[in-house]
Amino acid sequence: MNLAITGVGLALPGDASITDLLGPVMARACAVDPASRLGRKGLRFKDRATQLGLCAADEALRAAGLWNPDLAPDERLTVPGESVAVVVSSNLGNIDTVCRVAQTIGEEGSRSLSPMDTPNASSNILASDVAIRFGLRGPNLMVCNGATSGLDAVHWASTMLRSGRAEYVVVLGVEPDNEMVRQLTDTGRVLDGAAAVVLEVPEHAKSRGVTACAEVGRYVRTAGMAECVDRLTSVDTPHVWFTPEGTGKRPEALAGTMRLDIAGRRGLCYGALGVLQCAAAAGWFAQGGDGPVLALAGNDSDDATAGVLLYAGATGD
Amino acid sequence: MSLRIAGIGAMASVGHDAAEVFENLCAGRGAPNVLRGFDRSWFTADQLFEIDDRPVPGADVPGRATAFLLDVVGQALADAGLPAQLDDIPVLVGTGLRELRSVELWWRESAKFPVDRLHFGTALRERFGAVDTHTFANACSASLYALALGADLIRMDEADTVIVAGVDSVTTSMYGLADRFQPSPPDRVRPFDRNRKGTILGDGAAAVVLRRDTGRHGVLRSVGINCDARHPTAPDRNGITSAMRLAHELAGVRPRDIDLVLLHGTGTPLNDEVEARAFGEVFGADAGRPLLTGIKSMTGHTSGSAGVLSLIVALRALATGTVPPITAVDDPIDEVAGYRMVLGTAASEPLSMAQVNGFGFGGVNAVAVVEAAR
Repeated sequence: MNLAITGVGLALPGDASITDLLGPVMARACAVDPASRLGRKGLRFKDRATQLGLCAADEALRAAGLWNPDLAPDERLTVPGESVAVVVSSNLGNIDTVCRVAQTIGEEGSRSLSPMDTPNASSNILASDVAIRFGLRGPNLMVCNGATSGLDAVHWASTMLRSGRAEYVVVLGVEPDNEMVRQLTDTGRVLDGAAAVVLEVPEHAKSRGVTACAEVGRYVRTAGMAECVDRLTSVDTPHVWFTPEGTGKRPEALAGTMRLDIAGRRGLCYGALGVLQCAAAAGWFAQGGDGPVLALAGNDSDDATAGVLLYAGATGD
Repeated sequence: MSLRIAGIGAMASVGHDAAEVFENLCAGRGAPNVLRGFDRSWFTADQLFEIDDRPVPGADVPGRATAFLLDVVGQALADAGLPAQLDDIPVLVGTGLRELRSVELWWRESAKFPVDRLHFGTALRERFGAVDTHTFANACSASLYALALGADLIRMDEADTVIVAGVDSVTTSMYGLADRFQPSPPDRVRPFDRNRKGTILGDGAAAVVLRRDTGRHGVLRSVGINCDARHPTAPDRNGITSAMRLAHELAGVRPRDIDLVLLHGTGTPLNDEVEARAFGEVFGADAGRPLLTGIKSMTGHTSGSAGVLSLIVALRALATGTVPPITAVDDPIDEVAGYRMVLGTAASEPLSMAQVNGFGFGGVNAVAVVEAAR
């Protein structure tokens, strides 16, 4: 069963739109300023990853018609809170807090710590803060699963919808840029951005009069890229391939298929990549592109490769 | 179709395998020890429930959580009579703190730590050839969340066998923040005691092999999962009662069917009061019927591993009729008056259905219902 993407939200340098994801990044794009998008209230003491995640989730929920900030506070979420799940992918989300707190302890002892760091020392703060801000009381999952994490998060969202644990899932991919993550990942720049998609069952979207901007189909997770490509292309023949990070121009797989490297010059996207790819697929279909789109995360030097097929909304498989 | 537990594995400060952990808990053996992995001068508190496996005493090393995980997954596979080769069998790992202790050692002490070891998939592939691995960082309900999703995979015919594990090794950052929070450091973990002072963290790991229709350790009836959506650290009674009711509904049981409850019971002032009240609200007239216990007075709070560790204790209690006690309780809080708390020494009676609670930071709640093997 395919699932509908009914809302997309981005928090990316330069205020990029979903179609911008398909092209090169503007040089010197400005960093996202969460306070200008959400207001200052409620952002104090939240780490960078959480702030970016809240921006993208806010936009995706509004686009899906699930959140209306113009209504009275207890009516802003337009569906029951327990029907909405949150699934977040991030590998590097609270590394800065952990390193900074450990450093303070080693230099000055625990008495110099701020209690406000406590929630941020637990890696699930991103997912739970999204739930708290929007009142989302369904399952709340924090996926920290390496290079494949973003597409794995899409898979768990899909599992929650198909098993009936939720009617809507906000899937979020986030990675922050800071000194600690650059050193740990040995890269010059990390994304410093977030993407979110809202998933639901297509019939459900149709019944509430919402148009799907893309559909998510089959997911597989394998030991390497070639097997992942084989298993997904046996289901359907992709027109476009969103390549895993760090694949370069290796020719062997899908030789005749157009390739797009979403990570490209955005810096290391890591756990955010899979969700960015889903948002980019929506951008591809919005500008008239054909499906299916193949999204792959995790290359042969990672522990696994995850892949997903995406289709234009309402065409299905 | 039934979901059965075919293999178990566990380790904590109280034991190196599931049998030793259960035996020591039933005997009331287990207490924190003085800090061995961290520099004591950094903190006011000096107690921790550690698995002290460092090659050189006092010198902490990266990768301990991963080593615990590989150990318990190996135990669970052997116990289930399965080969140590997983291939496409999904492995779902719940953790509060991932390998963040290794990140601290990398940042502060220049220890070598590749970023692909922050999640557990790389090591699981090396050791067991596993390619379908998932690391969930869902605070202290993480392993029960993993159990819920693993059960869904089998119910939806996407797998016949799933490995569900929980693991945590304590970070200095979380230990230090707890130390900063507590007005005076607790010397013991005293869940549901009027004079409880807070929790003490612990290292721990646990794993189960979940299979369709086959398995001698018991039947998984349901796992209810939700989120309070209220507060980053404080638990919410409404969220917790909803999670318990959801678990009962999914399992098709009523409160009167439950013989034993493994409480989350952290020994913090807020958790124990909220959990006891939520239990009373959900169980109503039947609140005096089930036995109530918890393991954290003897294991410490083992974060993301706590849920599956408690689940294994519940399964052993169902199988043997012996229920380990909560130790260190001298003066129970009013909120548990009239309940059948197992305090001080083990209880013994026939049991067939147990509930296991797991609640985490951010209000992530998970409640499992398991039934004795017949």
